[in-house]
Amino acid sequence: MTLADGLKAAALLFVAAIVQVSIFTQVDIFGGVPQLVLVILVGVALLRGSVAGATAGFFAGLVVDTATLGTMGLTSLVLTVSGYCIGRYGETTGRDRAHAPFLSVAVVTILYSFGVLVVHFMLGERAPAGAVMRGILPTIVLNLILTGPAYWLVRRLLRPREHADFATEVQLLG
Amino acid sequence: MIRRAVLAILVIVALALLTISFRSPTSGVLHDAQGYGASALRPFQVAAERVARPFRDAYNYVNSLSNAKSENKKLEKMVRDYRAQALLNSAAVQQNKNLQSLLNYETGPTYPQDFRAVNASVVSFPSGPFAEQLVIDAGTNQGIHRNTPVVSADGLVGQVTNPGRSTSVVTLLTDPDSAVSARDLKTHVSGLIRHGQGGTLILDRVAKNQVVNKGDWIVTRGTVDRRYPDEYPYGIPIGRVIAVGTSDIASFLTVQVQPLAQFDSLDSVAALIPTKRARSHP
Repeated sequence: MTLADGLKAAALLFVAAIVQVSIFTQVDIFGGVPQLVLVILVGVALLRGSVAGATAGFFAGLVVDTATLGTMGLTSLVLTVSGYCIGRYGETTGRDRAHAPFLSVAVVTILYSFGVLVVHFMLGERAPAGAVMRGILPTIVLNLILTGPAYWLVRRLLRPREHADFATEVQLLG
Repeated sequence: MIRRAVLAILVIVALALLTISFRSPTSGVLHDAQGYGASALRPFQVAAERVARPFRDAYNYVNSLSNAKSENKKLEKMVRDYRAQALLNSAAVQQNKNLQSLLNYETGPTYPQDFRAVNASVVSFPSGPFAEQLVIDAGTNQGIHRNTPVVSADGLVGQVTNPGRSTSVVTLLTDPDSAVSARDLKTHVSGLIRHGQGGTLILDRVAKNQVVNKGDWIVTRGTVDRRYPDEYPYGIPIGRVIAVGTSDIASFLTVQVQPLAQFDSLDSVAALIPTKRARSHP
């Protein structure tokens, strides 16, 4: 990932985090809340791999936790793991598939929701599993609606890598 | 190998932040740094909120047109009722003042006269089922401290639970951890306001032999014993009783209260800073 790509991804995630905490948290449709940060993170991780995904998730989480004066590190922890998993999927099986962003968003929405729930539970805080379960389907639908335009925007800013870029090791045979 | 190392480092750092923040959520170096960070982010949040506001207002306008006519009739009737009630109340207030001056009656800060309102816009809203909190655009720089009561134009909203330098976290009455000492304005029955089902509140701990009627107003109870001062002054409107129930096995009445504050559409609130130091309490 080049410095320019890093700056573009950082700016995009920063704006997404601000929009998320200021605007999207008010949008409650059948218990679901669209998660723009997650959708943008999926785009970055799919196009730039696991290391970029994990790093982007960490810093996006820091911005969210700072802006909401929440428990520092909580969102970072879950987004870091989410970004890494999606990045690995992008580096391996998902890189050429048109449905990859949509599948990734659906899966990572579930992982993220349960991840946050588990961390809250382990901290001994309120962890309403029923409310999370009820809201998860509408949230997935809302995130999938966002995926098309968000992924298009991320692709415009971060050029998809060539196949050769994914090769990290060369084994000489013969 | 490198990617696993990066992941491990980031996870360890996140866990370290989580541990420090969890152990001291309202003080310490990390909390101060978070406060500075929140101050730096505030202009961006305010800008985003301002960009979104016209769209939200347009939606609310269209939404409210559908029931404007019936609501107008209902409001006209309420205005007539309240006008008559206000005349009676103003006479009672005057009489109360006269009696208090005759008795040299001393009280703690009374609402709203003895409070300075710090008006603040809401910059972040409750996020998902985990938090019934919001972030307001004012903090310790404006005199806000932990447990400062927060009201809207309609009634009590909650209290500050995590003050930052220029932003603060307000825990709403609908949060499961919230409990406010309250009383029925008409029958003087006291109880605890807690969260209820479907955005309503419950007046808890009301004995079955007490009387609470549907339609009664519920306000904050204020300090009863000077050794245990209440953060909320007496008389902040909370809501109106919409249902009273009981059962043979329950120890207390089930009093359901419709809150006056519209928690899902709060644009701005006021934090109440006392201007009078409490000396003695009624």
